Amino acid sequence: VDPAAAGSGPPADPAPGDDAPLADLVPGDDAPLADPAEVRRAMEYYAGRGWTDGLPVVPVTESYLAEFLARTGRDPDDVVFSMPHLNRRCTVRLAAVNAALAGCLPAYFPVVLAAWDSLTIEGYATRGIWQSTTGTAPLLIVNGPVRGRIGLNSKGNVFGSGFRANATIGRAIRLTCINAFGLRPHLLDQATQGTPAKYTACIAENEEESPWPALHTDFGLDPSDSAVTSMVVRSCIHIEARHTTVPEQLATDIAGTISRTGALIHRTISALVVLGPEHAHLLSRAGWGKADLQRFIYDHAVRSRAELAAAGKDAISRHTRWRLPADHPDAMPDQAAAEAHPDGVRVLNSPAAVLVAVAGANNAGVSAVIETFGPRGGPPAVVRVAEDRRPDASMGSDQAPAEEQA
Amino acid sequence: LADGILLERAGVPAVSICTDAFRLPAQAMAQAYGFPGYEFVTVPHPLASLGVAQIRALVAGLMPGLLRILGLEP
Repeated sequence: VDPAAAGSGPPADPAPGDDAPLADLVPGDDAPLADPAEVRRAMEYYAGRGWTDGLPVVPVTESYLAEFLARTGRDPDDVVFSMPHLNRRCTVRLAAVNAALAGCLPAYFPVVLAAWDSLTIEGYATRGIWQSTTGTAPLLIVNGPVRGRIGLNSKGNVFGSGFRANATIGRAIRLTCINAFGLRPHLLDQATQGTPAKYTACIAENEEESPWPALHTDFGLDPSDSAVTSMVVRSCIHIEARHTTVPEQLATDIAGTISRTGALIHRTISALVVLGPEHAHLLSRAGWGKADLQRFIYDHAVRSRAELAAAGKDAISRHTRWRLPADHPDAMPDQAAAEAHPDGVRVLNSPAAVLVAVAGANNAGVSAVIETFGPRGGPPAVVRVAEDRRPDASMGSDQAPAEEQA
Repeated sequence: LADGILLERAGVPAVSICTDAFRLPAQAMAQAYGFPGYEFVTVPHPLASLGVAQIRALVAGLMPGLLRILGLEP
């Protein structure tokens, strides 16, 4: 079927100067021959079993699975991630099945495995945070040469759609949560609202357009290494700051975003700042390194005692350290109350509670604050991507899914 | 809910209590723990915004169900 002609309404007007955008959707002579009814039947089978995030998944055969397993030296029965409180484990094999379901190519699999190792080190997910009403999602940041090898996007629309590796590597984590750990919404996943990042959240750092060393090299790896750094994230907040070339003004805008009262749940919080290259260069031209930005944000991510009192967050619980009103029966003063400036409450416990990465197109003053679930000052979970065991093989897309049962 | 099951398995009589908003997740958790028929007490949601008097009233209301699960019904 020509999808451009399948709609019931009139065809969309092509954009001025755009030759024939819809013609590209007409299948060519190279389109594979397949029985569409059988394709849909396979899709519906998977959907009917609940093995999906709601979108169609790719049927997985044993031989296609073997292509994924060939990319790693790890045993298929190796455990890649555990949730002890559920007595459930994900093996290399299960991780591969879900990566294939998600639409990954076999060449992506070493990155998926590194992501699981990183999530294990990061620690929150093994302790059940993905079941919480908070509704967090994992964010994966990929560094190093693997980005180019598998086509990970680090530039325009980096948090958006359009790139298979980003879309499917992030989705592989979600489908594993659903299929291997049973974290289904309304059941073991109790998220009140969740976040769009639960479909997929995988970005690459734009190392080529960053003025600074890459994220993974800040934590001991070599630029020639590839790495995945995972974080548990609450939300992604957009900062559009085209108004200034003064580094202190830009950094103040970022600090103000980080210190919003809605984010200040615990005594202190943490964040990842993903600078667009333009903002990174604005800071770099003024002589700022990442450490300077971290220090400035630490010093300026401050709320006044009165602002916190107005939001009912001027004290902390003696039991949970969550913020609450000072007249609450469980309330005790926060740490800042005992310091030299009790009326200015820092929302970060150290400069290291802010991480800095660079991603996006170098085309505007746009950055983002990712509200993270820790680390609140410890090093992030940077994990080296193991060598692809079949580096000379294709990406895996030439797999012919011949007459096999899914 | 898992704590209630683990206490029971350790031989300590226990009853799990959750708000009705968590009935389905609680049942799913019981299933994950190999205890699909596990009985627990639910109370109306929410709890976090209740005052002391409201919490006392709520506890009085849930006691008959709690005692029944413990095997202490009159």
